[in-house]
Formats: sequence, C-alpha cells, structure tokens
Amino acid sequence: MLTNLIFIILFMLGFYALIMKTNLIKNVIGLNLMEAAIFFWVISFSDIGGEVSIHKFGETMGKFNDPVPQALTLTGIVIGASTAALLLTLIIELNKFSGTIDRDQIEELND
Amino acid sequence: MNKLVKKTLITAVLAAAAFALYYNFSLLPGYQDLEKGISDYIITYGLHDTGSLNLITAVLYDYRAFDSLGESTVIFGAVSGIVLILSRKMLPVSSKGLSFIVKRTLGIMTPFIALFGFYVITHGHLSPGGGFQGGVILAAISIIFSIVYGSAFDYRRYSPQTKTVLETGGALTFLVIGLAGIVMEGAFLKNLGFLTAERGTLISAGSIPYINIGVGFKVGAGLAIIFYSMIQKTFEEDF
Amino acid sequence: MSLMNIELILLTVLPVLIAVFMCFSTNFNRHSRNFIAVMGVGIELALVISLFVLNFEAVKNSNFFLQYTLGYTDTPFVINLAMDNLSLFFSLIVTSAIFLIVIFSTQYITAKENIYFALFFLVLASIQGSILTADLFTLYLFIEAITIFTTPLISFEKTEETTRAAMQYLFYGITGGVFFFISMILIYFNLGTLKMAAVAESFALISTPMQLTIIIFFLLALIIKLGIFPIHFWLPRAHSACPAPISALLSGVLLKVYLYIFMRLFWTMIAFDFLVELHLSDFVLNLALVSSLIGHVFALQADDLKKMLAYSSIGHIGMILAVLLLNTEAAFYGGLLHITAHLMMKSGLFLSSGYLLQTTLSHNINDLRGIGHTNRLVFAAFIIICLGTIGMPPLIGFVSKWYVLLAFLKARHFFGAFVAAAGSIIALIYYLRYISHAYETVKEDGKSIKEELLSLKGFFSSTNKMKSVIYIFTILIIIFGLGFKILEMPINTAIFELLNPEKYIELVLGG
Repeated sequence: MLTNLIFIILFMLGFYALIMKTNLIKNVIGLNLMEAAIFFWVISFSDIGGEVSIHKFGETMGKFNDPVPQALTLTGIVIGASTAALLLTLIIELNKFSGTIDRDQIEELND
Repeated sequence: MNKLVKKTLITAVLAAAAFALYYNFSLLPGYQDLEKGISDYIITYGLHDTGSLNLITAVLYDYRAFDSLGESTVIFGAVSGIVLILSRKMLPVSSKGLSFIVKRTLGIMTPFIALFGFYVITHGHLSPGGGFQGGVILAAISIIFSIVYGSAFDYRRYSPQTKTVLETGGALTFLVIGLAGIVMEGAFLKNLGFLTAERGTLISAGSIPYINIGVGFKVGAGLAIIFYSMIQKTFEEDF
Repeated sequence: MSLMNIELILLTVLPVLIAVFMCFSTNFNRHSRNFIAVMGVGIELALVISLFVLNFEAVKNSNFFLQYTLGYTDTPFVINLAMDNLSLFFSLIVTSAIFLIVIFSTQYITAKENIYFALFFLVLASIQGSILTADLFTLYLFIEAITIFTTPLISFEKTEETTRAAMQYLFYGITGGVFFFISMILIYFNLGTLKMAAVAESFALISTPMQLTIIIFFLLALIIKLGIFPIHFWLPRAHSACPAPISALLSGVLLKVYLYIFMRLFWTMIAFDFLVELHLSDFVLNLALVSSLIGHVFALQADDLKKMLAYSSIGHIGMILAVLLLNTEAAFYGGLLHITAHLMMKSGLFLSSGYLLQTTLSHNINDLRGIGHTNRLVFAAFIIICLGTIGMPPLIGFVSKWYVLLAFLKARHFFGAFVAAAGSIIALIYYLRYISHAYETVKEDGKSIKEELLSLKGFFSSTNKMKSVIYIFTILIIIFGLGFKILEMPINTAIFELLNPEKYIELVLGG
C-alpha cells in the first residue's frame, strides 16, 4: 500500500536525520519528521473515503471517517510542538555557551 | 573511512528495519475490516451525547477531555520551562520595524486576523477548529506585531505579565469547569448539563465552548511567550 | 453529586492546581510559598495513606480495587482511573519519597522557587496520573509529560553541562515517546479500543507479526526510558547535572515509575506469555543483566560523585528488571522489595550528596577531600546508606539483594546470580574509594560530633530541614532493614495483582 510505503520512508528518513546528522537543528527536524510521518499515516490510514466527521444542520450525512484517530493526532501534534519548542530553546542556550550547534564540535555529545 | 562505514551500516540497518516494517504493515487489513467499536459508537451517539456537531471536538473536549487537560498542562509546563531556561532580568526590545507600507497594511488586516482567530475558537463545536487552532492564530498576531512594528510595540501593548495572566487564566478555566463537573454532574470534566441549548447554535454543547475559549487564550498566550523568550537574543544588539 | 472514589481524581488534579498557583506566586515570600508546597504534597500523602488505612481489610485480602470514571459512565469510550494493590503500593512509596524530597528542596533551592515548584508539582501530577490511569493514550500523554516537565528542571542551573544533559535527555525521551505512540496507535487500529483492560482481553486476536511489532516498540520505548544498556548514555549525564532533589526524583522515583509502567504493560495489558512465546523475555533479561554489569563497571571509573551514583542506578535498575522478567513469585518479591529499597537508598544518597557538595568546589573526587571531617554526622549517614546499597546485613539493601539472589538461584539462572553478587562487590570498591577520599586529609577542624548532635535539638527547625530529611532516610533504611516484614503484606498483595491480571481486567471492564 502506498500510504504505508510513504510512512515508512518518511519515518526512516527522519530517524536517519536524528541519529546521523551532526547539526542539532537538523536532528530536531528529523524528530519532527518522524512524528509527522506517524500523524500522516494515522490520518490517511483511518480515511475510509467517508465525510469529515462533522454533522451539518438538518442534513442526513453519509458515512463518517473515524474521529478518534484525528483527535489523538491533534493531541500528538500539540505535544510534538511543545517538545520542538523546548528542544530549540535548549539549542539556543547551548549555542550561547559553546558557540556552535554542531554535535561533532561539542564534546560529550558524540555517541 | 570510519565515518563511511558507520553511515553504510546505519543505512543498511534502517533499510532492513524499513523492509520488515513494510512487510508487517502490509499484513494489516484495510481500515473497514478492523474492529471499530468506539468509533461506531461515537458516530451514532456523539451528537446526542454532547450536542457538538463537530465529532472531533466532542472527542477532544468531552469524551476524552482529560487528555486535553493533560495536553494543555503539557503546554503550560513547556512554557514555564522555556521561561525558566531563557529567563533574563530585562527584556531587550527593539522599536525598529519594517517599512511604512507594511505597517499600514498590517494595521488594516490585524482586526480581521483577530476576528478569524476568535471565530475559530468559538465555533469549535460547530465547524472545523477549536481552542488549539484558534489560539495559534491569535499567537500569530503577536508574532507579526513584533516583526512588523518591532518587539517594543507588542511589549508595551501586551506585556509578558498580561500574557502570563491570560495563560494561567485559561488553565484555571479548564480546571474550574472540570471541578464544577464533580459538583454538579458527579464526575470530573463531565459536560455541564445546565449549559445545554439548542443544537447548532453558538452557545450550545454544554461546557465545550467555554473550554475552547480557555484553551484558546492559553495556547495563544503560551505560544507568544515562547516566541518572545526565544527572540530576546536577537534584539540585544539593538540596545 | 457523587463523591465515590474522588481521591483518585484529586491525586492528579490537586498538584496541577498547586502548580498553576505557584506560577502566580511571584510576589509571595519564601516562607509562605514553602508552606504551600509542603502542605500540597502533604495532602497528597495523606490521601494515599488514608486510602491505604481505610481499605486496610480489602488490601489485606488483596481484593482492593477503586475506580473513577471521567465523564460519561455508561458509554464504552471513557477514561478510567483505576487503583489496585500494585498501584496503591507504588503510589504509597513514590508519594512518601516525593514528600521528603519536597521538604528537602524547600531549603535547598534558593532562586526561582516559584517555577521550580510549579514544574515539580506538574511532575508529581503526571507521576500520579501515569500510576493511576487505565487508558493507554492517557498513559502515553503522562509519560511524555514527565519527560517534558523534568527537562527544564535538569537544566535548572543553566551551565553548559546541564543544558547539554537536558537536551540529550529530551532527545532520547521523545524518541522513546514516538515509539510508544506507534505501538499505541497500532493497538487502536487492531482492536478499536484504548482501554488497557479491553486490550488485555483481546490481545490474542492480533496476528503474530503485528503482536511482535507492538511489543518491540513498547520494549524500545521503555528500554530508552529506563536507561538499559545500549541506550544508557543519557542517564548518568542527566541524573548528575541537575540539582540534588531533582537527581533524587529522577533516579530514585521516576525510574521506579517506569518500572511500574513496564509491569502494567507486560503483565496486565499484554500477558507475559506473549513475551515468552516470541522469545523476547530471555533476550531482554540478558540485556538487562549485561546493562547491570556495565553500569557497575562504569561506576568504578566515574570521577564525579553524582555520576558514580547515576551509573550505580543503571546497575540496580538492570538487576531489578532482570529479576522481574524471571516471572516467578519469588522474583516478584525480590524485585518489588529491591524497588522499595533502591527508592529509599538512592534518594537518600543523592540528597546527602547534594548537602555535602554545597561546601565543595565541584563534584569531582579530588575536591571531596576532608568532607567527612567537616560534616561528620551527615557523612556518617551517607556511609550507612552506601553500606545499604552494597548490601550490608542489618540494612534493607541486604534483605532485598538477598531475595533477588534467592530468586535467581531458585530459577537456576546463574548468570543473574553472578551479576547480583558481582554488583555488590564492585559497589563496595567504588563506594570505598569515595569514602576513603573523604577522610583523607584534615584541613580544618569542623564541629565535633557532640556539637552536631546537640544541634539536632531543632530537628525540624528551618535551618536543619535538609539534614533531618537525610537522617529520616537513614533511619528508614535501618528500620525497614530490621523489620522488613512490615513490607511483606503490601508486596504480597501487589504480587497477587501481577500473578492474577484477570482480576484487574474484570473489575475495570465490569464498571
């Protein structure tokens, strides 16, 4: 299935960026890419071709998509945003101390 | 050389993992064939139970409101943490901005952006949107202000103290509605029955709109605080 | 208005309220803020203890069960908070330890207390929530919340080292959280439910490859969070960089909470048989044992007192995880006893190290010279707790290690027994190294031991809070070492839950 393929490729690209790139900002991007891949997969996998799960006034609606994965994804996105903000904050702070955001040039982060 | 070996090795491992995962996921049946006890229930009874036309909002702020409480607490904690990490004694501000044309244009547009933000927040139970989405739009106003007019402008208008008060106020609203659920309905965060009105109107769906407003202010103020904590360094040179 | 089991929801919501309040309290003076903090955590402790005392008969007959349903009670889709004997046991030990840590930190933390306590109470709320929740997604949320709230606390002192440690901690923690999310969503897509009890009922219906994926992602997430061998780099750095009370919280309390989540997931939700069937339990067991050995060996070469303590934590947690994975009654007894013992000992050690290091230049072993002469009584307490960690007879560390060893021998797992014994011997070496350094040179005469004893008069006066907390931990270690039978009843009832997950499942689903 195409959805699964895209999810896995995106996820692995993100994971690769997370562990192999030496730029810390790229690591954050990798982490976000992993999260985004999962959210994308959750939403597109639970799409059964129905309508958006919102009732309209006085209309009888057809088949709805499952609202639960969408709600879970919203929560997940918010958590991802908070962690990304926190990570970037720490990177700003680290840049102030060591003058670089390259993992290779900061001792003790090499593993 | 060593680096190249490492790179190849990691790539190989990841490719193998990807292949295994893909094989595994292709065994998943299509979504229609899966067990969906919960979603069927929500689609059938969601409107009846909560009075919210938007079923996703019904899940977020009614059936699983506890999760949303945890989620807004996460933002609250993240904001406190970022303020703690990046705190300075004085907030360096800049009054430089962009050109006159941009300032004027934005001056005309800002009320509409704000209106749209409030619309998304208050109509969370009727149309796509809700507290988080609308809050992000509100936070965008604050960010645009500081880019276009310089951060001094926004700083004078909505000082960090005001934002903190708004944020904590939003969190308190959520908590108070939750506690009111215990007193009036017998369960924490249960939808308050006396607030129900005719379905499809602006003030309906029990306590959902009020939670949305609380969350909206909280998220808006929180994201603005995060932004202001982060840009401080940039403006130090202006002093 | 029904107040049935309202304690459960109060346990999670009350700390959030206090945290919000703390953020407002910038204008308060120190004294009243400390008072509110101690009161808040005191109420938490009182709630947990009252739950234990009021339901004593039920706990004794191990049919104690409380449940609180949020929102709609009659729908299949609600969030439950449930408390059985296992959660009660963990809630009890964790809350008591946090109570003492808060008292310690009221004196230890002197700057930015309002944000410190706000974050601390948020951590407390998420710990209680993750212990009590019966819902998989809420569990994910609370695990992520713990990681996010502890990160700023790690970088509280704002030096290069702490920032680096916090960043690494957050990277690893969130990666673990992402893996947890994958497993969670796969379970939802396969079974259409997020209630742990309902998942437990129908987990066997999932196809075997999918079961393997779910279990592997859960294991990866928890191995990252617990700091087991291949992914343990972040742990010593994070646990040694933060202020002493936070070290105690992370190393003493949080690792136990993750162990609890491990038990909840792999004994209650996913029956342990699946792990055995998929040949994963042996693998993880050996991994944990290797991790334990590596933790102890690395502790040997650590020149930083707090880093040494953190590495020793890796050693102990690996051993506990291994003994739990033996899946026998004796193993559970040893494991839970050692969890209690390690909670007290590691919290005590980190707190006393925080007290001792106030007067030194750095945590380095060379700067610790003569510290045993300047703070005699506290250092004596430190030595006693060290001896407990090594496993000296009258202390609780000995008892728990003895039962762990017995469990390994009973299961005829000799590698495990070897690791448990070797860990003690290695621990003896590295603790003695520090102790001998501390008594090396006499720079100046500190107070004599008699004077220190006299100053104990104001045991709870505000200037002596830190010392008295350390002494309380020491006394607890001695008391429980002599009378470890006190713990037998709660531990046995907790084991009952592990051996009979059907009870929990039935009661949660039954209403």
